[in-house]
Amino acid sequence: MTRLSALLVIAAMAALIPMALDTNGQTAIGFAFVGFPLVGLAILVYGYQRWREGAFSERSRSGDDRTA
Amino acid sequence: MDASEIGPLFVPPWAGHGLGWMSWLPIGLAALAIGIALVAIVRGRLAPPIATLGLVVLPLGAYALGSMLMLEESKGTEFCGSCHVMGPLVRSLKANDGSLASIHYAKGAVPTQEACYVCHSGYGIWGTFDAKMAGVGHMIRTVTGRYETPIRLAGTFDIQSCLGCHAAAESFRKVEEHQPLDVQQALLSGEMGCTGDCHDVAHPEEALMGGDGAGR
Repeated sequence: MTRLSALLVIAAMAALIPMALDTNGQTAIGFAFVGFPLVGLAILVYGYQRWREGAFSERSRSGDDRTA
Repeated sequence: MDASEIGPLFVPPWAGHGLGWMSWLPIGLAALAIGIALVAIVRGRLAPPIATLGLVVLPLGAYALGSMLMLEESKGTEFCGSCHVMGPLVRSLKANDGSLASIHYAKGAVPTQEACYVCHSGYGIWGTFDAKMAGVGHMIRTVTGRYETPIRLAGTFDIQSCLGCHAAAESFRKVEEHQPLDVQQALLSGEMGCTGDCHDVAHPEEALMGGDGAGR
């Protein structure tokens, strides 16, 4: 899951860098319609992974889960 | 534009300045995010604070700054002309072909670096907001190919863009046709526009037909 999320982040950044270097219609479309969904997906995948690890559970938040 | 070729006085103050830090900041954040992501791919796991930084915080920061950059840069005439269908319109502006838009451009009556944006966005923050929303619509239509030529303005042109400069001008007020109150009301209510009935359409028809290349 971490690897998938990291791959998505790299792909999203690959859509951002050309736009930042030369903003034109093509790079802006890549940034808005490819990069943004990839960033969203990367965060969702990472959030899901953290959720499966119990990062958002009550026990984890209260600091009782010391075995995780 | 090279100052040594045309003289330093004729280089607009905006030329070459750009938004350096606004470009490099998102690239810097992106580079850091890529670095952390590469480590994550190699190791398969990262400490949660580092993973959250590299896979959430830095990408979000890079995209927030990138969005600001895009919003700013998309005001540029060159940006508009970089899309296939808009290329001929920007070329027509620069060619000084006698069209209303090119006359404004050639005389410097609109800031040449943001000519499209200045005329096609209304006044105030809602004008900017509407222009950005319309821009997103243009991008979607460009990607999906859902547009027809000759391209037409969606809705009516906001004549406040014209009046912003012309309303207080003596030469505009002196024109007899601008003086009747019913004409003024019709213009302000949007029943009547500046172009079409009295003034020529701002862009030549052949430019509105699209073209085979970008205008950059």
